[in-house]
Amino acid sequence: MKWILIIILIGTSCCFCQSISVDFNSPENIRKFADHLFCEKDYLRANFEYERLLGNDADDTLLFKIGLGYSFIRDYQNGNNNFSRITSSSIWYDDAKLQQLKLYFLLGDYKRAASIYEEEFEIKENKYSIESNKLNNFIYFFGNKTLPLKEEIIFPFNEDEKKVVSSFYDWKSNPPYKSSFTAGILSAVIPGAGKMYLGEWGDGITAFLVTGLFAFLAYDNFEADHDTRAWIFTGLGAFFYAGNIYGSVAAAQIFNARIEFEFNQSLNVYLSNKNYFTPEYEFCK
Amino acid sequence: MNFVSKLKLILVSVFIITYSQYAQTDFDAQYDFAKSLYEQEQYFDAITELKRLFFFDKSEKYIYSGNMFIGECYKQGGKFSDAIHFVTFAQINAASEKEIYDAGIEIIRLNILRRTTSQALKLIDSLESNPEFESKKSELNYWRGWAYIFSDDWENAAIEFSLIDANHELKIFSEKVDEEQYSVGFAKTISYFIPGAGQFYTGEYLSGLISLGWNVLWGYLTIEAFINDRVFDGIIIGSLLWMRFYRGNFQNAEEFALQKNLEMSNKALNYLQYQYQGLKP
Repeated sequence: MKWILIIILIGTSCCFCQSISVDFNSPENIRKFADHLFCEKDYLRANFEYERLLGNDADDTLLFKIGLGYSFIRDYQNGNNNFSRITSSSIWYDDAKLQQLKLYFLLGDYKRAASIYEEEFEIKENKYSIESNKLNNFIYFFGNKTLPLKEEIIFPFNEDEKKVVSSFYDWKSNPPYKSSFTAGILSAVIPGAGKMYLGEWGDGITAFLVTGLFAFLAYDNFEADHDTRAWIFTGLGAFFYAGNIYGSVAAAQIFNARIEFEFNQSLNVYLSNKNYFTPEYEFCK
Repeated sequence: MNFVSKLKLILVSVFIITYSQYAQTDFDAQYDFAKSLYEQEQYFDAITELKRLFFFDKSEKYIYSGNMFIGECYKQGGKFSDAIHFVTFAQINAASEKEIYDAGIEIIRLNILRRTTSQALKLIDSLESNPEFESKKSELNYWRGWAYIFSDDWENAAIEFSLIDANHELKIFSEKVDEEQYSVGFAKTISYFIPGAGQFYTGEYLSGLISLGWNVLWGYLTIEAFINDRVFDGIIIGSLLWMRFYRGNFQNAEEFALQKNLEMSNKALNYLQYQYQGLKP
């Protein structure tokens, strides 16, 4: 009898530490695991787990976290789909609409972003009306809509932000573009002048020297009655002359594209630093 | 206590003990499930299930093998850096010298595939310097050889394989590839003396002839201009045209040699990938 009791005691105590049976697929455990993945920033897996929990009666917090997860992995379309499922009775409704505004913005769908702003933030009352107004005003910098007055644009921003936004406004209203027509004309009159106008001094001087050199060689050979060589140099000179005009026009277009790219880049960096005027959520604390 | 009561007590105790083992079976089953997903090439799901196992199994029984498995899944998906992250984690949690070594070799193989050759060589050196792995010299030379193969250094690869066996299959193969490769320096140098010769050497005859033709033409015109005292013409044609084609000639020869060597290396790697039966990174 004593021995039997000892066997039971040893047998059970050895295994006691591992004796918890785990149902990996119970809703509670799926949620715990999904939260763990979410906090590990493994958003795609976390979303797949959360989606297993979604029935017809969708939990709005889950939907919000799924939307956030997709937006973190830059799947903005799926993010939007989930945010749009959050109903107006939810505590996450205002946040979801702000996130939708941000995601349409990031998708480059400024029209939809503007309509979300008008429908959800301008007409209705929303706790993020200032933040949404700030983000909405940035649409003017990206899109081709006519700029309103500077005062209207900078109005919702605080003093520090106003300085930066004001400089963006100045840039947008008066961008430092160069005319491709002027560049072409200048190069037609003085080879290389178009490039110099664009600030490409090295290219401009080279184009001037090469075209001038071929012109001189053509002239010199005609003078010496070397007609064949003279025509070769004439052809080469004409080729360089025409190429330089074309190059100056193309360079002006590239210059303008670069200016616009840099502007958009600085807008994106600024907005990214500001988290697009959306709050940081602390689900992992 | 009579015999029947004793028997009952024994049966109950057996039941309690076996029942208490069930939880362990759950984790084993989960691990087997993840493995089966891996075998079905569902790597994403396999990783999810292994992560689930880690999350619930507080005993950390599978921390080594599970992380090695995750590394394998990422490796199959071509995500070598992620794979290295998990295999390194497995190595940190290794319970024996053998596990440390196995994980180390896996990290080396991943570095070879990722073409971070210097890192792979450094890790091989570090394993080699460990007296525990004295007996593993041949295996380490083998992977060093592979690291050289992936960095396109067939000569050194042949040397490493020869340290294992003078007639090692990969030694003979590497030597063959090395011998077949063109000398980039030679292709360039002969083009300095005879324009187009480097292209001929790499088997690009048409390109060689065109290069030779251009150089003869502009060379002739330059010399002719100087002979006829048209010094300015001579300088301009010589510098703008002849020199341009002369420089293009040897640069082109160098490029051909490099390109042909790359083609040969890729062909050799393709052969190793599909035909070679031995261990591969």
